[in-house]
Amino acid sequence: MPPASVNGFREERRALPFLVPTLLIMGAINLYPFLNGMVRSLHSFRILSQDFTFTGIRNFQLLLQDELFIRAFVNSLVWVATCVSAQFVLALILALVLNSKELIARRVFRSLVLIPWATPPVVVALTWRYMLAEQGPLNAMLSALGIAHPPSWLLDPGVALWACIMVTVWMNIPFMTVMLLAGLQSVERSLYEAAAIDGASFLQTLFRITLPVMKKIVLIVVTLMSIWTFNMFDIVFVLTRGGPGNATLTLPLFAYQNAFFYYQLGYAAAVGIVIMACLLVLIVLYVREVLE
Amino acid sequence: MRLSRSKRALLHFVALVYVVLLTFPLVLMFLNSVRSEGEIMQAPVGVPGNVTGENFDEIFGASTFMVNLRNSFVVAGITVCLTLAVTAPAGYAMSRFRFRGKGLFSVWLLATQAFPGIIMVLGVFAVFRVYKLLNTHTGLIVMHTSFSMPFSIWLLKGYFDRIPVALEEAAMIDGCSHARALTRVILPLAVPGLLAVATFSFLLSWNEFFFALIITRDELLFTLPVFLSRFLGTGGLVRWGPLSAAALLATLPALLLFMLGQRYLVSGLTGGAVK
Repeated sequence: MPPASVNGFREERRALPFLVPTLLIMGAINLYPFLNGMVRSLHSFRILSQDFTFTGIRNFQLLLQDELFIRAFVNSLVWVATCVSAQFVLALILALVLNSKELIARRVFRSLVLIPWATPPVVVALTWRYMLAEQGPLNAMLSALGIAHPPSWLLDPGVALWACIMVTVWMNIPFMTVMLLAGLQSVERSLYEAAAIDGASFLQTLFRITLPVMKKIVLIVVTLMSIWTFNMFDIVFVLTRGGPGNATLTLPLFAYQNAFFYYQLGYAAAVGIVIMACLLVLIVLYVREVLE
Repeated sequence: MRLSRSKRALLHFVALVYVVLLTFPLVLMFLNSVRSEGEIMQAPVGVPGNVTGENFDEIFGASTFMVNLRNSFVVAGITVCLTLAVTAPAGYAMSRFRFRGKGLFSVWLLATQAFPGIIMVLGVFAVFRVYKLLNTHTGLIVMHTSFSMPFSIWLLKGYFDRIPVALEEAAMIDGCSHARALTRVILPLAVPGLLAVATFSFLLSWNEFFFALIITRDELLFTLPVFLSRFLGTGGLVRWGPLSAAALLATLPALLLFMLGQRYLVSGLTGGAVK
């Protein structure tokens, strides 16, 4: 039903006052900065020399020749893929456990496992910097178990990225669990009963019934989590600052360094555009799934 | 269908393992707040031998902690108020009116949650420089509000959708305007949604690090995450005792609010995704 032809802009005129504050704030510090970032990525822009000249796609060409960028790009891909898949599996197991009616004190368990989610990310990162320190608690426990040379988690370039991934997974398990638990609770009991009568095993039920029925929430949570993880800054920044030797440099940190240490703003904006481009498919999937 | 004894035992064992793994590191960290520096160095894992208040004394006495704590409360508190004031009407408009560009607006709201901070930050810098908002709490508050808005509008729209239109229509026949119907009829019925938004936006602002790091330059303006990362220093010896004390105090308000608002937050988060 086209309202405009009958009422002119009546509905628009009514809606507008309710939307003005939102449009002002979002326009000024969301839409404008976003467009501004796009434009900047096409310029050579340095704060110090106030040089702002149009260079077209030169920033992107430079990125492709920048070994550090390639490194950060690869790190980011490994980071997102590993974080999200590990989170998903571990959260699904936890959600299944918490969903079981036979678990005594379910509420208590549920509240306790949510604690990492309620903790500020910077505190999470600090906690793990302590846990993973060379002479820290984790290595002390490993030594006590008879492991002679436990790894230097955050100082060994071969291990540091995995340590960061572990911390992020640890932090994000609760959120994912809550979402998956809500999905599990939306599955009709009769479906499980039918599957049990047909003699389906636990895994068959999980893959053939439970997950397909909660497909929507799984898609939403996986896309959203991938987007957040790709953009995540604080954990790595506090844990390693991208080191040792750029072993944990992800794209957001790479962009940050270029913007705030080397003052290469156009270059940093170009990195932002690359991140957006990588995320585009996920964003489309997420938006479509939520709007459906 | 009942599980066998051994399967039930396994179920509880797995649940326990998760609880231990997810809480133990924080417990260890927070215990350090009452241990002396020497004790922490000697035994990284351990219950406090002599409970000491020296770490808290130092945090309160010899650092800007109290100022930064206050900053965090002010910034997060105002962010909550501003978010509610702006998103309630917007959510209402999204729920009740048809208007051109509504679809596009919805897509924008959802998509913006995915924008990388680094693209935004440069433009934000430009805007903030013009309006003199760099290195101010006002700037940080507006920034945090803009982050919490898309999700909050979306969440409130969902709540309003479930409130029958007939209720406002009745009020409007009695001469209420849309705005009055919203404040008198709709908002009182949407309290759980408003609480979800309040919890969400408070935690978002309380925890936010990246923009706080970039927008505030003066250590008396820092919020707690920036204070903590500064206290950690760059390399060198970390003083875990005082740092743990500060981290504990930075976590408690968030934890408390989370426990109180959890119910609303979770139903708000999952409401849109599960039918």
